[in-house]
Amino acid sequence: MNLAIFLEQILNGLITGSMYALIGSGIALVYGTMRVLNLAHGEFYMLGGYFTFYLIVQIGLSPLLAIPLAVAIAFCLGALIQKLTIEYLIVRENWAFTTIAATLGLSIVLQNAALLMFGEQFNTVPYYVQGVMSIGDIRLPWQRVLIFVVALATIAGMTWLLKYTRLGWSIRATSQDRDAAQVVGIPVRRIYMICFGLAAALGALAAAMLAPINAINPWAGIPILLKGFVVVILGGLGSFPGAIIGGLFLGVVEAVGVQLTSSEWRDVISFTLMIAVIWWRPWGVFGTK
Amino acid sequence: MFRPFTAQALVGMVAALAAMLLLPLVSTDPYLMHVMVLVMIFGIFASAWNLVTGFAGLKTFGHHAFFGLGAYGSALMAIHLGLSPWLTLWLGGLLAGAAGLLIGTPILRIRSMPHVAIVTLGFAEIVRICIANLSGLTRGEMGLWGIPQFQGFTLPVVGKVSFTPADKVSFYYLALALTVLTLFVIVRLMRSKTGLAILAMRDGEDAAESLGVNLTRLKLLVFGLSAFIVGIAGGFYAHYLSILTPHSVVGVDLMISIIAMVLVGGLGTFSGPLVGALVLTVLIEALRDLENYRLLGYGLLIVLIVMFLPRGIVTLRERLSFRQQEQANHGS
Repeated sequence: MNLAIFLEQILNGLITGSMYALIGSGIALVYGTMRVLNLAHGEFYMLGGYFTFYLIVQIGLSPLLAIPLAVAIAFCLGALIQKLTIEYLIVRENWAFTTIAATLGLSIVLQNAALLMFGEQFNTVPYYVQGVMSIGDIRLPWQRVLIFVVALATIAGMTWLLKYTRLGWSIRATSQDRDAAQVVGIPVRRIYMICFGLAAALGALAAAMLAPINAINPWAGIPILLKGFVVVILGGLGSFPGAIIGGLFLGVVEAVGVQLTSSEWRDVISFTLMIAVIWWRPWGVFGTK
Repeated sequence: MFRPFTAQALVGMVAALAAMLLLPLVSTDPYLMHVMVLVMIFGIFASAWNLVTGFAGLKTFGHHAFFGLGAYGSALMAIHLGLSPWLTLWLGGLLAGAAGLLIGTPILRIRSMPHVAIVTLGFAEIVRICIANLSGLTRGEMGLWGIPQFQGFTLPVVGKVSFTPADKVSFYYLALALTVLTLFVIVRLMRSKTGLAILAMRDGEDAAESLGVNLTRLKLLVFGLSAFIVGIAGGFYAHYLSILTPHSVVGVDLMISIIAMVLVGGLGTFSGPLVGALVLTVLIEALRDLENYRLLGYGLLIVLIVMFLPRGIVTLRERLSFRQQEQANHGS
């Protein structure tokens, strides 16, 4: 195999992986703080894609304005949904199961609501930037480079938020020990709502960046959710840095795997990898016990 | 679980069984028979899912993998090996059970509910994609058709029994036999000493383990048995409809319907899954015009039941009478 093509595939893998990292970190954030496995996470991706599509294509906003707006709407929607459902379930005795079942139900509701509202056709958005970057023999569309840059900036921003702001400290304190956090006056309930909103926003951002490449339809969230799960298993469930590394790793593994087989086996490769990881290191490849 | 069945419950069971046995004498309308056969297939599936999720507390969301393995396994063995569907039905169940043990081993030794949920979902997706991609064997998304029917036989009193699309009544009784068998196995298991250990495990893993319950072995037993039963249901479905597509038997939609049925009926009860299967299937048939809203309705039902009626409708009467009693007490 040509070295340049191989490198190009690895780079493409990293770029896809950076998006997996955004999705996975949203799942990890919610699981890490609330211990809730959010099966409706993929639907925030799907809705984020639709918000972007309608704001850019139908209303004609510039992507610079439309993407932050779509992300903000997703944040509010995520927070609202948390307030209306998980908020009540998480304090009950059987919460571990009921929250999973409720988010599963929510995901079906959102998918079918989107189907009724937006129809089943595939929607795409024009490229945000044109042209192709070339270094030597390696050629990458600027759109893909932009995706990677935005992902890295978002991850850096989230890391800063979690490490150096009062909100971030509160989130981390809540995830370490909910009761102790409550004792020192952290509004745990509000932290839950914000985390859910942030996760939805991360999903929506990934969709907004991928919208020119991956068409949006009502079921677009399902494969994304499953990929996000693989990422959090690789990185250790509930670990934010683990999800980032897990996402990039999965992107590269898929790129190499697809080179060796064919693209229709891509998902089988990642799910098999996930099950292998659970056999070998259930706490995640990059997680600690 | 060890409480003897109350007279009321026994009468209820006998009455339900009698009603099911006598139904074809009242009407052999093919449409009615078809709906009831579907109710029983879903009822078996729902009961088996309830066994792992409701009784053993292993929250899996990927049981449609075993339905698909049973269905495709049985159909392909009947087509390519020329075996009788009466045999492949059980072989398909064994295939599903073996897959259940294989996938159960890594996830059941770690005590994390999210891992179980994620891995079972991922496994179902692997099964679906493999069936769709291996189109040389399964015809992929085109659908597998021409699946052999069960061979007919002759019974002393009834005469010739044949299984063709026109003879829905024989399918009805076969499905009823499988349903009764499934329920019998589940009730016997849950009312045995092992059943007590299973419930102890659900309600407190550490406590159960400290009393000598081998958690991993018990979980694998329940998971494998449940997968086997679901595989049988899948095999029956394959030979009944004689056409399969990856989406119809390994689609998430199927799993959603089953979850909705069990939650509506009552998680962790014997009759709940069957009642749920009956209520939802009949409701869907009655509201045919609203087909586009079917999944939306299932999703809403799951959310609402989980939030407002977590024990399902079979416990509704108990709760109501409890509330009345409470009010009466307050009144006095």
